[in-house]
Amino acid sequence: MSLTPYSGAWTKSEAAHLLRRTLFGPTHAQVTAVSQLTMADAVNQLLNIETVNPPVAFDAGETIVSPGSTWVNAVYPSNPVANQACEVARLKSLSYWLMYNINSQGMSINQKMMFFWQNHFGVALSSDARAAYTYFELLRTSCLGNFKQLIKDVTLDPSMLLFLNGNTNSVQAPNENYSRELLELFTIGKGDQIASGDYSTYTEQDVSSGAKILTGYVVQGLRSATLTAAQTLYLAPLHDTSSKQLSYHFNNAVIANNGAQEYSDYIDVIFSQDQVAHFICTKLYRYFVNYDITNAVETLIIPELAQTLINNNYDIQPVLFELLTSDHFYDVALRGTIIRSPLETVFTMLNSTETIPNVNLTTNANIYMTIYYANQNMGLDYAAPPSVAGWTSYYQLPSFSRLWVNSTTIKFRFDMGQGLLFFGIPINGYFLKINTLNFLNNLSIPSDADAVIYDMCELFIPKALEASEHVGLVNVLTNFLPTFEWTLQYNDYLANPGNATFSDPVRQRVELVMDRIFKMPQFQMI
Amino acid sequence: MKRRDFIKNVALTTASVPFVSNGFGMQAIGEKLFNFSTGAEDRVLVIIRLNGGNDGLNTAIPIDQYANLMLHRPNIIIPQNQILGLTPELGLHPSMVGMKNLYNQGKLGIVQNVGYPEQNRSHFRSTDIWSTGSLDVNETKGWLGRYFDSYNPNYPTNYPNASYPDPFAISMGSEVSATCQGIAANFSHAVSNPNNVYSLYEGGFVNDGSYYGNQVEYVATIIGQTNNYGQVINNAANAGNNLSGMYDAANSLAMQMKYVAQMISGGLKTKVYVLSLGGFDTHDNQADSNDLTLGAHKPLLKKVSDAIAAFQDDLSLLGLEDRVVGMTFSEFGRQIASNASLGTDHGDAAPLFLFGTCINYGVIGPNPTIQSSIQDQAGVPMQIDFRDVYASILKDWFQVPSNQVQQLFSHPIQYYTLAGTCNVGIEEMALKKDEMLLYPNPCTSYFTIRVLLEEGKTQAELRDVNGAVVMSFFDQHLSSGLHEIPCDVSQLPAGNYFVVLRNKEGIRSHKLVKTK
Repeated sequence: MSLTPYSGAWTKSEAAHLLRRTLFGPTHAQVTAVSQLTMADAVNQLLNIETVNPPVAFDAGETIVSPGSTWVNAVYPSNPVANQACEVARLKSLSYWLMYNINSQGMSINQKMMFFWQNHFGVALSSDARAAYTYFELLRTSCLGNFKQLIKDVTLDPSMLLFLNGNTNSVQAPNENYSRELLELFTIGKGDQIASGDYSTYTEQDVSSGAKILTGYVVQGLRSATLTAAQTLYLAPLHDTSSKQLSYHFNNAVIANNGAQEYSDYIDVIFSQDQVAHFICTKLYRYFVNYDITNAVETLIIPELAQTLINNNYDIQPVLFELLTSDHFYDVALRGTIIRSPLETVFTMLNSTETIPNVNLTTNANIYMTIYYANQNMGLDYAAPPSVAGWTSYYQLPSFSRLWVNSTTIKFRFDMGQGLLFFGIPINGYFLKINTLNFLNNLSIPSDADAVIYDMCELFIPKALEASEHVGLVNVLTNFLPTFEWTLQYNDYLANPGNATFSDPVRQRVELVMDRIFKMPQFQMI
Repeated sequence: MKRRDFIKNVALTTASVPFVSNGFGMQAIGEKLFNFSTGAEDRVLVIIRLNGGNDGLNTAIPIDQYANLMLHRPNIIIPQNQILGLTPELGLHPSMVGMKNLYNQGKLGIVQNVGYPEQNRSHFRSTDIWSTGSLDVNETKGWLGRYFDSYNPNYPTNYPNASYPDPFAISMGSEVSATCQGIAANFSHAVSNPNNVYSLYEGGFVNDGSYYGNQVEYVATIIGQTNNYGQVINNAANAGNNLSGMYDAANSLAMQMKYVAQMISGGLKTKVYVLSLGGFDTHDNQADSNDLTLGAHKPLLKKVSDAIAAFQDDLSLLGLEDRVVGMTFSEFGRQIASNASLGTDHGDAAPLFLFGTCINYGVIGPNPTIQSSIQDQAGVPMQIDFRDVYASILKDWFQVPSNQVQQLFSHPIQYYTLAGTCNVGIEEMALKKDEMLLYPNPCTSYFTIRVLLEEGKTQAELRDVNGAVVMSFFDQHLSSGLHEIPCDVSQLPAGNYFVVLRNKEGIRSHKLVKTK
């Protein structure tokens, strides 16, 4: 087993696998297009950062900027009540923005990798919507960039300083919250406890010294009526100027006082340990390939990825290219290994069917907030991970992604699909509904019942269905009539545009098929 | 026949064993955890997880250590005159009126200084340790999951079934509980609202043994169980009710406990309910600098206290109090010294609460000792191992034979009597309420009794397993308060003994194991 490039047949099946893992719900057109590219071209196309417009105001609580304009560089009202109302309005706008961006993703891994880092750092964002926006933009724009630099940037980011108490960590009273997670969760990872306070990769002494190294930063301008952004400031009197002793895990390095740059010196020392590359590559592997780190993966795949990361001075992009073009990634035994997250569930329903609602500003905002809450109900509150370790589905042995589904959340998934297909989800008088006819018309041969089912399953299900299940779905589509009847019905619909007498029966059959697919256990995997 | 009567009858017919509170005459009703009878005798355990690491020193506050606590945490300490005193030495955070009332009614127990050796201060590792009941990093099964597994090795295949129609455990909310993780699946069933009927599509599929096949099978099983368990849960919810008016609709924990009471009263035979409340990771603004009784910690403790008080009130009105005991836990306590952010950082041991009429109420274990000078990052040292608390609950409450309990844990268990009062069979034991601690236990040559006493003549003796007095080693008039009574057993053969202590409050006894 190794990461040699995949050299097998490049078909729609491989294309669909690649896109299911790197996008939130590919379309049939995207799968077809990628199947006609070379693998390397396809992966290179995916590895790009998209252009995204900033969030815009829509809610009445926003009293500083006008509807449709962005608030990300605006002050807040000085009146405390208006200030709070404005923050609520901006957080709503931010949730709209987060969901809209995923819904309007292009051929890019951008949103998938942004969420990888949101899970990695686990920051719950609550103090200032502008700071939350800049934090998300940091994750999004850096998601394929340099890991070491990302750690440095996140360390001084106002949202992180607030989240893990870096803003109150001073020489007078060190607060070790960030210092601990920096090692345990963000960079080198924690190994077994081999002695009192010694976690194989770092010790309590490193946590304590790290807290001292990271002293001196405060955040100013939170929800300020005069400052247009929350900012990190370095205040020398708060910084611990002593020399900080690290443990033998870092070769007993001593971090000398270096004021505002000392954090950077420390992070360089942490990254001098190759374990950092091993740690993050394991996490990337679990995110993109499989939860199970077998002995072979541990000894053959992860070290190779880690070496690529080190050789590229901790740039993430070459690692992803290597992984996503590898023979291992396309191994049939490793397809369908991951249970969909709520985002992967909801946005497969929406994105694969090109359901991108556009009504008016207020309704759009409410639609995307509804989508945000739907994810929340299924266990994924994008801007508020359950803990600093992120969602349990990405780290909790032995279940991993199985933790997304249980009796409560599976019901939400089914309800969501049903709502999008049949009744439409009511929002401000608008009904959010999948345009099933449009989806059908964009498949390869809509008049051919077999082809329709094959196309849908290729998009939605990681492996080919049993023949009996395929026939079952065809029967739902044709209502147990011979398949030529479907062809006649579809052609009648095409010949009579705008005539519900012909379009309704077609639409209803497709809705029934899709409802069945969305409720199949197989649909829950990517 | 009520449980208490039944046990009394058993006890009277075996009167030659006079004062053993646990482990005798119980085989007839043993293995309660898995004996899903339909009678009203079924016992239920409610576990409340305080997610984030609760600051024990500001929850159950050791008043006798107040001066030194003031040195280390002056910016967050609860003003002494605001503490809700339980004993002269120990009191609760002022927001915990509900739990103080339970204490006064004999329905609250506080187990002090609970933790484990070599405390790991990572939330995640420590939560794993508390969930698995094991310090072994390779242990992936929960402590309850291991026990369920030992009786149900094929779960979830063919569950639910006629013998086990109800979920083994219910986790309130949208996540299953790691405490119930078994080999193949999690034994807890996530329920957000038991009044909601489930009827989900169940597909057909063939597991080809691949990762994918296993995942598909897992989801299919979840869907099937959701339908089947959903129906019995819903039936129970329809049959059940609530009678207390103390539940606050704004208190999410209270509303979850209300559902639990409803399901129990409706006859659901689920043995374990797991609930959780987050927010205890109070690195900052734990207290409000203007009023130290306010701040982030206060609403959390108030939620817990109000919810437990309402639940207990409901159980009392429903006539279910003797069937339910509860327990809280948190992955660690916090450091003795506060930080400058009006908060506290990750620490070590902390108190754990028990509630119910069948628990051994009162304070179990001594207050932590806070020195005037402490090391950087010092936490509260562990004195009682949380795994022993779990083991004692399994033994006391679910009547699991101790040899089976031991198989679930990798360390030698020391049992405490924590939830044994409803097991008590003879009148003199009914007087026993306060816990008596023996340490070390097992011992080799010396042990010490630690006990809180009223003033008066106090006698202590050691008896063998047949009840014969081996030695009388203490006979003095003692003042009221906490006492430590040492005993030399170096000359005695190894074996099991019972330490019996008498004073005007009654007789207390505790098993002692002497090893070579």
